[in-house]
Amino acid sequence: AAETWDMPLAYPASNFHSENAAAFGKCVTDATKGAVTIVTHPNGALFKGNDIKRAVQTGQAPIGERLLSAHANENVLFGVDSIPFLATSFDDAEKLWTAAEPKVAALLDSQNLVYLYSVAWPPQGLYTKKPIASAADLKGVKFRAYNAATARIAELAGMQPVQIEAAELSQALATGVVDSFISSGATGYDSKVWEQLGYFYEVDAWLPRNTVFANKDAFEGLSETDRKAVEDCAAEAATRGLQMAKDYTGRTLKGLSDNGMKVEKPADALASDLKGYGEVMTGEWLKQAGDDGKAIIDAYRGK
Amino acid sequence: MAAPPAAPVNKEGGLPRFARRLRGALDALYLAGGVAGAVALVGILVVVFLQMAARWTGIRFPGSGEYAGYAMAAASFLAFAHAFDRGVHIRVSLVLARLGRFRFFAELWCFAVGTGLSFYFAWYAVKAVRWSYRFGDVSQGQDATPLWIPQLAMAAGAVLLGICFLDHLVRLAATGESGIRADTLDEAQGE
Amino acid sequence: MHEFELTLLFVAILFFLLASGVWVGLALLGVAYAGMILFTSRPAGDAMITTIWTASSSWSLTALPLFIWMGEILYRTRLSEDMFRGLAPWVAPLPGRLLHTNIAGCTLFAAVSGSSAATLATVGRMTIPELRRRAYPERMTIGTLAGAATLGLMIPPSLTLIVYGVTINESISKLFIAGIVPGLVLALLFAAYVIAWSLMRPAELPPPEPRTGFREKLAASRFLLPVLGLILVVIGSIYLGIATATEAAAFGVLGALALAAAQRSLDWERFAASLMGATRTSAMIALILAGSAFLSLAMGFTGLPRAAAAAIAALELSRFELLMALLVFYIVVGCFLDGISSVVLTMAIVEPMIRQAGIDVIWFGIFVVVVVEMAQITPPVGFNLFVLQGMTRHDMGYIAAAALPMFLVMVAMVFILIAFPGLVTWLPDYMRAAPA
Ligand code: NA
Ligand code: NA
Repeated sequence: AAETWDMPLAYPASNFHSENAAAFGKCVTDATKGAVTIVTHPNGALFKGNDIKRAVQTGQAPIGERLLSAHANENVLFGVDSIPFLATSFDDAEKLWTAAEPKVAALLDSQNLVYLYSVAWPPQGLYTKKPIASAADLKGVKFRAYNAATARIAELAGMQPVQIEAAELSQALATGVVDSFISSGATGYDSKVWEQLGYFYEVDAWLPRNTVFANKDAFEGLSETDRKAVEDCAAEAATRGLQMAKDYTGRTLKGLSDNGMKVEKPADALASDLKGYGEVMTGEWLKQAGDDGKAIIDAYRGK
Repeated sequence: MAAPPAAPVNKEGGLPRFARRLRGALDALYLAGGVAGAVALVGILVVVFLQMAARWTGIRFPGSGEYAGYAMAAASFLAFAHAFDRGVHIRVSLVLARLGRFRFFAELWCFAVGTGLSFYFAWYAVKAVRWSYRFGDVSQGQDATPLWIPQLAMAAGAVLLGICFLDHLVRLAATGESGIRADTLDEAQGE
Repeated sequence: MHEFELTLLFVAILFFLLASGVWVGLALLGVAYAGMILFTSRPAGDAMITTIWTASSSWSLTALPLFIWMGEILYRTRLSEDMFRGLAPWVAPLPGRLLHTNIAGCTLFAAVSGSSAATLATVGRMTIPELRRRAYPERMTIGTLAGAATLGLMIPPSLTLIVYGVTINESISKLFIAGIVPGLVLALLFAAYVIAWSLMRPAELPPPEPRTGFREKLAASRFLLPVLGLILVVIGSIYLGIATATEAAAFGVLGALALAAAQRSLDWERFAASLMGATRTSAMIALILAGSAFLSLAMGFTGLPRAAAAAIAALELSRFELLMALLVFYIVVGCFLDGISSVVLTMAIVEPMIRQAGIDVIWFGIFVVVVVEMAQITPPVGFNLFVLQGMTRHDMGYIAAAALPMFLVMVAMVFILIAFPGLVTWLPDYMRAAPA
């Protein structure tokens, strides 16, 4: 029987993840010859980002996309892609995800969810008002700490943590409430951060991922050929999404510098200071993540 | 403010004792919900100030935004029944006002629909809290609060609203008067 | 067509529930439920709670009850009386006299609050009793309030502009700056309407207050100091970076309490009365917001707003035709949805349309705000109408009719924006050109 799968997405239609999801939806619709028609609802128009996982889990939506690391409070494994300064390039991030994917998929499965694909966001860099040569320059800087990891970075670097919601970041930068934050080049480009800040350091702190999953009952209700078609389209979407992420990174970083920001690789001193924080925070993550976590990190490090 | 009582006194007076007690208990319950909502509203103010103070002094207050949100939800849901009891929830009375002696039946329909919808809402609110508890749903913010705790206020407020609707529906059917105390409205609204 | 009949049924249910007198928030809940049943096989009740919980526990909503509370406190002080004593000599020579306090009050308060409901509740709480006492025509009092309060969305800070900016990746600060001039122009248009109306019907206005000399006016202005001080504290806290736009509401409450204490009008009884009044009013608004959040979800599942926007896209209209089509479209959508929902539900289709037509997205943001402002005062679902109904106990039909001229003023504003796009773009461009 033909069915419509409404697919809630948290980000605007023009975001590359949303465009990729729309292409995935079209692929599924075509490949199943309309047995499954996927209709994407970008921009949180159906469910807000926070609600998407629960909505799919409970069948309120049959499929959806979510930044899984936002659910790390629920299970630290969900936060494996967001350990600061552990995997600091697209290649490393893919390697880390290859190690983590089976464990995360199993965890999702235990929550009535079927893992389909996952695509990285552009790497997280450091935005500052003043030039930063080493961690010493970060002392006392007013830094946006929006979750446990960024708060810990602030603590390790001696920065002054400032809690500001995303919607009020622009205003907080304009009024000097915040003068530094970690986010991707894309965020800064989209919010035209050069109006307030001067420097972007490509510290590639981590590459968070958006993951697409389906409700298990909905997925298992499909015929075997249709399930295969969905999985094939998902694999395609993962490859296409990675390329889109890389292109987008290049484009937005160029956009930042075209608009007068200094876009630089971190100086050696800064890079090694940050790597030190990475060691500390990976250790802390491992303490919480147990055997599964250890297996992932060991596989990633090639042990 | 001379507030005539909800139903004629002699009728109330004629009720058996347990019904009078029930009446008193229900009225107290709605008011208690309103007071709890007011306390939550003060809670919003306190959390917002603590959040600012934390930022000025560089002290961390993880999850302040979430706590303010929970207080917001509690302030709203817990006071639903109280606001309804005092006639503050609004409706379009254009048609009702022109129905004359048929108005009673239209009111009956409104209170019945309202009772049905508020119990529908209450049913799923309670179910959502039970699911949040079973799934171990936790806040995605830095507070990491188990969500069933703040959601309890939603469920409690929704159930209270359902009871309040049913109460007024029964009163309407039995006495012809719903007993909504729209007369306690203050000066700005009367005139 | 099947879809078409379902849509008619959906709209009919909404009208029937609202018109038969079911409480607004629950009526919205009911029609959303019907929409879920008609258009999707998804579990309606669970989805309802998911959406309502998120919408009701939102941190960005917290400013609303705080501003309402601020209004309740101020209402119990001499502040509004003083404000009128200070303003009366200045507006006395203007046709329409004290009706302008509604517009001036909303314009000032719009600079403090990001929502039009909060603007309306706070300003209306102060001006309605004073204007009534002076026997100003009720229709004009209510109409000007309903209209002018929508400035809360246009003059920064603005929740609608934040959502629009996030949706289309435009700089929110630039959008905020872009809203200032059109906001003031719209305020002047409202004032011009009041002047024109009073010139035509001088008999409906109360007798003028005694004329005063400039020195007396200046002397009376000292009564404005408390209200100006309060507004300065709230705005200042935002622009000095002490508070975010949301947190500024807390300063508003504290400032109002301080004022009340200074005037010795703060005792336990009044404090409790203001708090309970604010709790009831915000519960009333919260129930409507809850119903409207669920309706917005149901609308998303029905796909109606997207389909309508896509139908407009398929027409391949010229720029002006497209803007006219979108004007009508948003007015119709705005009859049923609040502004933020209509932006969120349609922008995925509308954004490429306007980019393709070469329309400046900052300019379009202001255009959208004006049409969304109109939605606040159109029945059956219009938040300013609801809030005013709660405050004045007039029927929705009466309030909507009173607000109709203001709706038409806003339509005129749309054409002014189209004719003079520089009103929007000049200030942001100027700020950009200025050396950093
Ligand atoms: Na505003
Ligand atoms: Na409307």
